[in-house]
Amino acid sequence: MVKSKDVLLEIRDLQIQGYSDEKWVDIIKGVDLTLHRGEVLGLIGESGAGKSTIGAAAMGYARDGTRISGGSIEFDGMELTTATEAERRSLRGSRIAYVAQSAAASFNPAHKIIDQHTEAPLQYRLKKRLEAQEDAIELYNRLRLPNPEEIGFRYPHQVSGGQLQRAMTAMAMSCRPDLIIFDEPTTALDVTTQIEVLAAIRDIVDQFNTAAIYITHDLAVVAQMADTIKVLLKGEEVEEASTKEMLDNPKEDYTKSLWAVRSLKREQKSRPEGATPLISVRNVDAAYTGGVKVLDDVSFDIHEGMTVAVVGESGSGKSTTARVITGLLPPMEGEVLFKGEPFPPDYHNRTKEQLRQCQMIYQMADTALNPKVKIAEIIGRPAQFYHGLKGTALKNRVDELLDLIELEPSQYYNRFPPELSGGQKQRIGIARALAADPTFIICDEVTSALDQLVAEGILKLLNRLQKELNLAYMFITHDLATVRAIADEVVVMQHGKVVEQGPKEEMFTPPHHPYTDLLLSSVPEMDPDWLTTLLEERGVDNIGDAASARIDPDDPRVSK
Amino acid sequence: MSYFVFGFYALLLTASCLAAYFNKRTWFLTIFAFTLVSFVLGIVGGTSVLRNVAALAGLLALAAMVSYAFREFLIAIASNNMAKELRTAPLTAAFGLFVIFTYAIAGIFAPWIAPHGEAEVIATAFAPPDETMLLGADQLGRDIFSRIIYGTRNTVSLALSGTLMAFILGALAGLLAATTGGWFDQMLGRISDVIMSIPALIFALLMLSIFGGALATDTTSFALLFVFAMVTGLLVVVARAERSIMSWVIGLAVLVAAAAGFSIGMLVLFNPSEVILIMVVGVIYAPRVFRLTRAVAGNVVVMDYIEAAKLRGEGKWYLIRREILPNSTAPLVAEFGLEFCFVFLLVAGLSFLGLGIQPPTADWGSMVRENATLISFGDITPLIPAAAIALLTVAVNFVVDWMLHRSSGLKEQ
Repeated sequence: MVKSKDVLLEIRDLQIQGYSDEKWVDIIKGVDLTLHRGEVLGLIGESGAGKSTIGAAAMGYARDGTRISGGSIEFDGMELTTATEAERRSLRGSRIAYVAQSAAASFNPAHKIIDQHTEAPLQYRLKKRLEAQEDAIELYNRLRLPNPEEIGFRYPHQVSGGQLQRAMTAMAMSCRPDLIIFDEPTTALDVTTQIEVLAAIRDIVDQFNTAAIYITHDLAVVAQMADTIKVLLKGEEVEEASTKEMLDNPKEDYTKSLWAVRSLKREQKSRPEGATPLISVRNVDAAYTGGVKVLDDVSFDIHEGMTVAVVGESGSGKSTTARVITGLLPPMEGEVLFKGEPFPPDYHNRTKEQLRQCQMIYQMADTALNPKVKIAEIIGRPAQFYHGLKGTALKNRVDELLDLIELEPSQYYNRFPPELSGGQKQRIGIARALAADPTFIICDEVTSALDQLVAEGILKLLNRLQKELNLAYMFITHDLATVRAIADEVVVMQHGKVVEQGPKEEMFTPPHHPYTDLLLSSVPEMDPDWLTTLLEERGVDNIGDAASARIDPDDPRVSK
Repeated sequence: MSYFVFGFYALLLTASCLAAYFNKRTWFLTIFAFTLVSFVLGIVGGTSVLRNVAALAGLLALAAMVSYAFREFLIAIASNNMAKELRTAPLTAAFGLFVIFTYAIAGIFAPWIAPHGEAEVIATAFAPPDETMLLGADQLGRDIFSRIIYGTRNTVSLALSGTLMAFILGALAGLLAATTGGWFDQMLGRISDVIMSIPALIFALLMLSIFGGALATDTTSFALLFVFAMVTGLLVVVARAERSIMSWVIGLAVLVAAAAGFSIGMLVLFNPSEVILIMVVGVIYAPRVFRLTRAVAGNVVVMDYIEAAKLRGEGKWYLIRREILPNSTAPLVAEFGLEFCFVFLLVAGLSFLGLGIQPPTADWGSMVRENATLISFGDITPLIPAAAIALLTVAVNFVVDWMLHRSSGLKEQ
């Protein structure tokens, strides 16, 4: 494929400020960026690095509460910083398009997908409605959406997440823009779905020779997509190089540390012989009121001091299993045993002592911590509630817990959750669980909302705490890299059933259950040719949903 | 043409030129638009209209300056966190705060500020203003100024107690309904629907005609207050007691004592007819508060931190007090201000109809009615209590607007 080499977008010494606490604070501190036609640039960095802000600035747009305070943005010979709003607006949608992280939140639920698709071409008078619709169907076809003729005439909620993200990419393509900005388009998707979207995006960008800025915090993903990679840290550029060079030979320490995260690993423990499992889930069926069965005959054991990872895509019943164990959702059939004794199915009927044994850490630390309560009380309350600590004893316990999660007690004691960063909040969530002195903790996707470096810190912390306090974890995740890093045993779930379970080493060596196989092979690797190779091996039509639908029920490995 | 006219236009034009020169866009637009308007008014109405316009502008400027100074004053005396919040207040909110502050002073220190007694007859009927009577006398020869000052105390305290009642009952019921859910939620919801389906004013008239006449005695009002306090207290007991029978018994015992104490306290502060008015207001407005609280709390209840607290084994009372309430205060406070205005207008309206606060107690609503005849003689005195009502309502709304703005998290562009 030949790419013409004229410069499409040139950003020089871009500075953006944000308004907080009655002051303008620098968010972007002089970033340069050059993008040629047909080139894909990957922007990576942790949250707060200014990736999305730069992405928006490439459209000449500054979000609410921010302003472009210096530098120049030149798009195809047009200076965007000095252009009028009307001029800038005429570019957006027609020559520069944007694909947001959450397609579900970005589509208007009140209109059909195709009507939203044709809005831009009609607005810019590029096409008549019928032409635009035909074009949309053509794009759906190229993006390999199922039923391309018909899918556009559905409403956004009638379409699955991965399909919606592809429909959004199609929509961005509707005016054949010169530049598309992808802002974390696959972050909210499962690995299996992620692949379909990645393959579709890459194809279409190639076909139309569109330039793209691909924003993400996932290195493996960006390695598949981008020609060049730019690493950002706190509004400043760390380094930029072509993908191959960046992966093989990162120069800066920060970049190296990003690469190193994926290599976290620990010793696998095995079950103690003949011991009663700490938690035992026995033949559990569960459903939400009036709904269909979400869990179907789920059984597994968790032994003291061990980590059991529960994996599967969203909707496979991982979190529901956690709700059954905690007693939030009493099962229809089956039971949960704690040290061999049955746990009352409804948490209302459990004693304080039983409730104390089993604690939970949530995915979204933002919603898991009450924003109006001080850290000292958030952590202190379980200690006070279960152990009746008061006054100095309580304060000492809180200090001890803050020490345990590696936060300086005097600094955090009187602060409120919104003042903390994502990683710190997650640590507070861990401390709250520890305050109860539990033997068993359910970690529900605890790292999926965090950046890799921060997530690694949390995983290390959990590991250390397990060693020191002999905790058992049930680790719910869809990220297999996390599983590799922390698990002793793995339970794979699909459609509310356990499809395979066993010690980690076994699970990562073939032969697998076809679903496990699909999950494993869908995890992006750091090799830039990984996606290409995978697509060649499996065929374009055998990835994601299509592949999981194609698992043969009579396959001998299924009934194993 | 007089010097005044020349001076007036010269001042306006200089000001607009200065604003334009220093690139103050909004200032320039305001001042110059004002200049253009006064050109037209000057041509149409002549010097006298221009004088009124100037006086009005001066009054506005004065109000703005007072508000600005008052805000700075509050910032200076407030603690750090409070000062930070106050800095975000627009001038209108500062003006509202200032008015509320003035009314509060007038109400609290009424006996010292008012030159004459509340029901003291000191002159002939409708006597004109003189040096002892700032605003003249009313239809019985009582000083209108003194009665307005006393009216602040009576009308505002009554409206405030009524709103508080409605809030305590409504908010408690709403929080409890949101945390409990199920049939309890449904039951409270349907009761509030029934009350809300009756038009407020008609409902008030109905209740007042039942309880207002011969029944307005200490015994009836005590009974009503007691029932109200029991209902409210029962909600607290439901939230606190959970499942143990012992805590129910203790809770109920404490409740009866507290309800009796509260009823006696209210009867010391208010006379029976006022108590009934407060109750009526409380019952009419509680369902509105209930609906809002339930909706706000409903959004909080689904958060993970509530789930975490439930799994810890916390009781409802802890959930309500420590987890839900701190996250719903902002909209509730804003709603309080809004409801206060409605209650205030309802009370004034009922008094105007003769069903509210009974004479000889001074009250703005009834003062408007008593002196209404003066209107036909071109005297604006009856409009003064009406203006007092309007000013307070506007002031409270200014403050509420600011609070709503903050709680909704909207940012100024």
